[in-house]
Amino acid sequence: MALRRYTASIDGTIPVPALLYDDEELLASQDGVGIYDGLQKAPDYQTGSVHVSTHRLFFVHSQNPSSYSFTMDLLHVTRTNYYAGLFKSSPKVSLFLDADTALPLITISGQRTEIFESWECEVCSHRNPPGLSPTAARICTLCGVPRSVSAGSTVSDASSQTQSLFSSIPESSTTSLSSSSSPGPPSPSTNSESDGIGCPACTFLNHPSLRVCEICTTPLPNVEHAGSLRAKSAPPTRAVSPVGDNTDPANLLIKLSFRKGGDKPFYNVLRRALRSQAWEGKRIGHNARSRTSSLAVASPNYGPTPVAMRPSGIDGIMRNVEASAHITQTDLNDALKDLEGLMMKAKDLVHLAGELNEKLTASSTTTTTSTLASPLSTTSFPSNSGTQLTSLFSTTTLVPSTEPEEAKFIRSSLAQLGLQMSNAPVTLDMIRDERRWVDELARELARVLQGSPDDIPGQKSAGIMKERGIVGLDEVWGGWNRARGVALIPPSTFLQVLPHLPAYTSPPIRSRVFKSGLSVLHVPPYTHASFTARIVGYLAMSGVMTTSQIAHEENITIGLADEMIAAIEADGVICRDDERSAIKGGGSGSASEVRWSRNLFLEYIWDGQL
Amino acid sequence: MALSTHTTPSGFLLPSIHSAPPFFTHQPNQSTHAHLTEQWMRLILTYARHKRLFILRVEDAEVPGGDWDKILRNERINRQIPPSYLSSLMAALVVKNLAVYELAKQTHAVLLHWHLPEEWAGVLHSWATATGQLNTILTFYEISDPPIPSPLSCILIPLLRRAITILSRSNRAQIIGVADGEGVRFFVG
Repeated sequence: MALRRYTASIDGTIPVPALLYDDEELLASQDGVGIYDGLQKAPDYQTGSVHVSTHRLFFVHSQNPSSYSFTMDLLHVTRTNYYAGLFKSSPKVSLFLDADTALPLITISGQRTEIFESWECEVCSHRNPPGLSPTAARICTLCGVPRSVSAGSTVSDASSQTQSLFSSIPESSTTSLSSSSSPGPPSPSTNSESDGIGCPACTFLNHPSLRVCEICTTPLPNVEHAGSLRAKSAPPTRAVSPVGDNTDPANLLIKLSFRKGGDKPFYNVLRRALRSQAWEGKRIGHNARSRTSSLAVASPNYGPTPVAMRPSGIDGIMRNVEASAHITQTDLNDALKDLEGLMMKAKDLVHLAGELNEKLTASSTTTTTSTLASPLSTTSFPSNSGTQLTSLFSTTTLVPSTEPEEAKFIRSSLAQLGLQMSNAPVTLDMIRDERRWVDELARELARVLQGSPDDIPGQKSAGIMKERGIVGLDEVWGGWNRARGVALIPPSTFLQVLPHLPAYTSPPIRSRVFKSGLSVLHVPPYTHASFTARIVGYLAMSGVMTTSQIAHEENITIGLADEMIAAIEADGVICRDDERSAIKGGGSGSASEVRWSRNLFLEYIWDGQL
Repeated sequence: MALSTHTTPSGFLLPSIHSAPPFFTHQPNQSTHAHLTEQWMRLILTYARHKRLFILRVEDAEVPGGDWDKILRNERINRQIPPSYLSSLMAALVVKNLAVYELAKQTHAVLLHWHLPEEWAGVLHSWATATGQLNTILTFYEISDPPIPSPLSCILIPLLRRAITILSRSNRAQIIGVADGEGVRFFVG
């Protein structure tokens, strides 16, 4: 009897994990288990495996899984008992079931399918996905508002009357109504047919077909509302509970007989699952189910506590937003504090790296030149004093010839830490004298442009102008400041540095301002004279070239090529052929583009008709 | 840029520069531009003399098959002189007194002086002397459309009037009003 009343059959051929709800978790499994229904062995359920999840207990029959498998919600279990077994009797776990939460005697499959549909929240229009456990599915996952009854109701007229019984309790669902309207247990709600609509003013029960109250002519609410009012005025009592025979304790007992052991760990897991009551936080729906049988008896702690624990509605959303904002703020504050601490440490670290680098530079100079060459030979640290070198000299003489590689390794480690001192930005407070500061900046810019001479092989510091001979000033400025990272150089200082640049670069890099105001830095091959010579050479070979062809040939941008060609044109060395003077359309196919040729007209001698 | 001269069907020898596409583009470079303008003016006047053309209009550049077709356009290199460039050339001609605007207060047509008015005056007087028409009254029509072709055939009346005005200053001609317009009498100079 207990088996019939508390379990629902499932298709055991489906693996158990696939049967779980989204918020359910499989805890333990054990095979070789038989079931006792009450005190008797249940003949159909003698060999199989049991699985316990956070919400349910599964039994899958080993020979005939499709017919004799079932599932039972753990919420029915009121207490458990463990029997360790003696001689030939197997260890057993007894599950005492709650009489009030018994399932109705009809198949539950129809209701299940309805639960597994996705549904749209009436409040926030969020489409809730299917797959959550029935309890969780009753509440909108977004706003926490319980699913309204009317939204999912697809039931007949007769049951809508009964359904209205519970519509005042928002957490009720369609599962509840079909249970009470089912013909199985003698339902006391039969009188709901004869009862009319309760008048909201005088509580007189009117005939259902009336629109206004017979006594006070107050407009009557429609049927659904009337039902809820009637429910308020006359709540069902204990007498509602279906059948009396389930009070027999034998009917409220299921035993699991562990024929192949594994009983102890399984029992522990089961107890833990029962204690954690994963279904409890969301058991609003089950709450309603319990009321189908006995609303009055439903224990008070089933009541509004879960709702209060879980903030719902707009208030809940607001509180969530506030909480997350608070957390973000705290995290940010912590992070900033950490950063400050890090910066304090960073200064020490930079200092340390600087010292280390000095030593390395000194030692490498000594090993390579073996004499005290001028400290300026290494561009990175001209400030090395002779005394430092001499003091280091004695130590470095002991270093074997493998030393440069080690130095390289240390340097690359430093570089990976972002502490490569040869790249450390020069700042004004490092060098007091302004003139020297500009010189140092020019030196640094030269490194940015052409890469440092003592380049680390693993590191890519090729320099902006390693590949290109001509670069826009804006790009250089941006690239330099990006390389510095800190203590950024303002454009005015940048322009101040440029005249000093040729002294520190090889080949010398000069700046040039075009007629349009475009400024560039370039190496000697891109001076006006040599560029002109090159272009004239191209034109002498190919006769006519477009701007884009020249740009392609020179590997520079078209805009830059335009500027440079315009400068040559101003000299009168080349002349243009505008496609706009073509007779037919766009000329010879290409879009209206200027074609350049050498200016041979200056030497032209009239050879036409005299 | 292998450029070569080209002879038109009418027997005019086009200069080699006429086959260079840049020749048809207004060059932004001042010196190049000045040089090319010079070549253009020479070409225009030579051609005008060859074809006895007196009027050059801005539109002529865009009319295929017109009087100026052969020099303002070069079908062989798919180039034509843009109207803007042509009008700047006309302005240059006017500045150099090689042309005058055909009508005052407009710039889209010029009267070309492939002979200066002074030269025209000399031509006119020598023609009158050669044909023995001194001291006789001649109408403008008789001069510009004589029965025997002369150097003055098709000369435009405004140009003719200017030539006569120059002659009359040195008392070699006199404008006389006649019944159907104006006449001129040449004197021995």
